[in-house]
Amino acid sequence: MGTLPAGTERPGRASATMPLALTGPAPQAGLDLLRIVRINEEIKSVVGVAFRINIMALNAIFLAKRAGTAARGFGVLSNELRTFSQNLRDCMGELSGLVDACVGEVSVVLRDIRHTRLLRQAVAASSWAGGAAVLAARQAESERHLQRLTARRKALRRALDDAFRMVELGGVLAKSAKIEAAYGQSFAASLAQVSGEFDGVVEEIRKSLEALRRSDFFGRH
Amino acid sequence: MKTTRTIFQDGDHKWVAIVRDPERKGHLIDTNEYLVTHGGQGLLLDPGGAEIFPAVFSALSAEFDPSALAGIFASHQDPDICSSLALWLEFNPQMHCYVSWLWRSFIPHFGGSADTFVAMPDAGMTIALGGLSLTAVPAHYLHSSGNLHLYDAQARMFFSGDVGAALLPPGEDGLFVEDFDAHIRHAEAFHRRWMGSNEAKRSWCERVAKMDIDMLCPQHGAVYQGADVERFINWFDALPVGVVGS
Ligand SMILES: [Fe+2]
Ligand SMILES: [Fe+2]
Repeated sequence: MGTLPAGTERPGRASATMPLALTGPAPQAGLDLLRIVRINEEIKSVVGVAFRINIMALNAIFLAKRAGTAARGFGVLSNELRTFSQNLRDCMGELSGLVDACVGEVSVVLRDIRHTRLLRQAVAASSWAGGAAVLAARQAESERHLQRLTARRKALRRALDDAFRMVELGGVLAKSAKIEAAYGQSFAASLAQVSGEFDGVVEEIRKSLEALRRSDFFGRH
Repeated sequence: MKTTRTIFQDGDHKWVAIVRDPERKGHLIDTNEYLVTHGGQGLLLDPGGAEIFPAVFSALSAEFDPSALAGIFASHQDPDICSSLALWLEFNPQMHCYVSWLWRSFIPHFGGSADTFVAMPDAGMTIALGGLSLTAVPAHYLHSSGNLHLYDAQARMFFSGDVGAALLPPGEDGLFVEDFDAHIRHAEAFHRRWMGSNEAKRSWCERVAKMDIDMLCPQHGAVYQGADVERFINWFDALPVGVVGS
């Protein structure tokens, strides 16, 4: 059974009634991905430094104990620095989680852009009446993804600001420890060395966080 | 844009070939897509890669309501077979994708949810389409290790995926094979290199030779019809495959 090749030739309609936005959001999202990946790398290095700080705080506590009454003030501060270093580690964990979430959302937005581009081209070249509704639904979904990215971006920015304030406080503690070190009599030199190293490391983290807050990932949106 | 050609019709039972896009970018392999319709429903065979979706969609939608596509048949897992899956699902999220059980958890990387996929067993299965029974036919290791073809006994049409594929030079890209000997030269290197198992090839040839087939429709190249179907099966049976660099 079956009739043979009708051979009806019907080329698809090749008109383009809608503008094809081939530039614009894609390069922006691509840059965002690059920026968030850089932020991720930087945060990983800060996490490494935060570990170092924890060990340094422990050393400072032992040193203060050995110095006894001569370094009572330094001892109090080194305990504070130990608490600071633990808080800093928790804070970096939270930042890493937020960065992961941002990488995920930027990837979704990038996928949406390609998907929507192909869908738009298909609907523009087709005479089928239902295309506009499908495209509108897809664009609404992409818009939801963009809003989710905006929310994540803001959360990351807030967390970076909180981390920055915490590190500034750590800097004050480290500087106070440097002053207290001077009263450490025979331990003064080693206390000064420990508190100096501490101050240097905190300053390193502060600079990193400051640069991260200035990332274009948070700007011009 | 691609062209649609109705290659079988009996009432609303149709096989439509979606072929030859003159605007196709040269770095993308040319593919044939086939639409089978019956009882108001459609099954799209190897719908193609994401980048050619606009060309396939616009051609198909001139023939058939894309929201009435009940399913997609994916002969295997390659990107030129079904990386457009997520885009087709936009038009009917309830659509099913039939694929070898082997690729059941691989193909979802192209889109779809857990409910989208129907895992076809190695022995093949029957696929119902608007009152029509289609048969998924095993073609494993030709070339993919989990590979199925589709037979429509009522229309005597056979979709053969990458088997029968030819890489046609410009100017020799007619829809049907006209001169078998001239055509098969463009298929030889492809079959030697892409098809991995002589044993699998033998059993496929035995299986398919027993079927009544008017047209053998590959995913690349031209459609074999009439005596060329048997000619192709015999040629393939005699060809040593799984050969590098010849
Ligand atoms: Fe393939
Ligand atoms: Fe292929």
